[in-house]
Amino acid sequence: MAKKQLNYADAVAEIEKISALLEKGDVSVDELTAHIKRATVLIQWCRGRLRSTQEEIDNALDSLEE
Amino acid sequence: MPTESFSLRELNLLIRQTLDAHLEPSYWVVAEIGELRPNQKGHCYLELVEKDDTGIVAKIRGNIWSYTWRNLAPWFEAMTGQTLKSGLKILCQVTVQFHELYGISLTIKDIDANYTLGERARIRQEVIQRLKDEYLFDLNKEIPLPLVPQRVAVISSPTAAGYEDFLNQLQHNRYGYRFDIRFFKAIMQGDEAPSSIASALHYIGQDAPHFDAVVILRGGGSQVDLDCFDTYEMASAIAHCPVPVITGIGHERDESIADLVAHTRMKTPTAVAEFLISGMVLFDERMEMAYEQIRAETTHILSEELHYLQQLASGVQRIGHQHLHKKAMALSKWEQTCRYLVSSHLERQENYLQLKESTFRLLDPSALLARGYTLTTFKGRPLQIKNMPKPGDTIETFTLTEKIHSKVENIESRK
Repeated sequence: MAKKQLNYADAVAEIEKISALLEKGDVSVDELTAHIKRATVLIQWCRGRLRSTQEEIDNALDSLEE
Repeated sequence: MPTESFSLRELNLLIRQTLDAHLEPSYWVVAEIGELRPNQKGHCYLELVEKDDTGIVAKIRGNIWSYTWRNLAPWFEAMTGQTLKSGLKILCQVTVQFHELYGISLTIKDIDANYTLGERARIRQEVIQRLKDEYLFDLNKEIPLPLVPQRVAVISSPTAAGYEDFLNQLQHNRYGYRFDIRFFKAIMQGDEAPSSIASALHYIGQDAPHFDAVVILRGGGSQVDLDCFDTYEMASAIAHCPVPVITGIGHERDESIADLVAHTRMKTPTAVAEFLISGMVLFDERMEMAYEQIRAETTHILSEELHYLQQLASGVQRIGHQHLHKKAMALSKWEQTCRYLVSSHLERQENYLQLKESTFRLLDPSALLARGYTLTTFKGRPLQIKNMPKPGDTIETFTLTEKIHSKVENIESRK
């Protein structure tokens, strides 16, 4: 079974889920560390998506002016 | 039995003596020439008569001796435009002569040309008056001459020099105009001329729609014997012709009655040709002017229309440009809006991510551990009211690098 391609909405949903879990505080230290690492990776990925989206849109709009 | 008698010769001599004694040397006498016969020797024998309504009422023989005749005949012709001929009324200076053998006769010494001219003028005036009384004088002039008289009937003698000149002039005109000429042969001088010309005119009149003008040409030849053009018969025929008549009779003396009655009078056949050609030239020039006018008007209209079209075109172009400019403005506004929406959306996302990041940083104990604090857990969970150890329980303490297991000795409240 192929791994489902990550998309922005799913990534944000997962960040929210981790955030809610951690705010409850009912996680082991090991789990905590793993969750935070996962959340950090997701945030970095989302940032990358935001940057590439900005670039794509800029390129598209710039091509209108040519 | 008579007491005295004469021989015939004696009687004739007596008559002669009596006449010589009682008559003046010469008399001026008005008489009509009855007969006239120049003979081989150069003398001229004639008969003088006087007529009234009943016929001849007086008659006498006459002669003009050669030395008189030689000068008198040409002089009279030059003065009056007429030859001395039968039927002519003259005023002459005569000497009465009686010869025993030849009887009585008149020797003509002189003729008064002025009398003949006056006589001619009187007859001429009578003819003119009659034509006027019968409303014939201006009849032919009232027919309009076509603008371009091209179909021309010519009445002339085929041998007349004037006819040749006329044809040459028309056919070789320098403009190259073409004329449709139909020739009608007629006798152009003498007593037969009026009826000959009248019948030609009559013939043409029957075919009137096919002719623009009739030309009567004499031209060249003797200046005498032109009386035929002064006759009522000729003038009446011209007046009645339904086609305009142009005369080119070619004489130098005053106008003939034919000239007066005709639509247009030209002096010579050549002048008639010039007249016809000039009519063509005039028409041609009018056409040329009309053409120029039409051309100028057309050019003007076209250039105005062209100007109007150019204005329209530039208007359309301007409106097009304005329209495009508006569209471009709208597009660029839309683009700016797009950029704004995108960047604000992305910014919001970025802010969200930053918030989450700082939250996670706060929750991450690693930083506290790195600064020497520790984290203690009981049964794998943080120490909380519902997860508190009792003395004797084992708890785990995490440093940055180690995990320490400790036994709880006692618990004090910090409150």
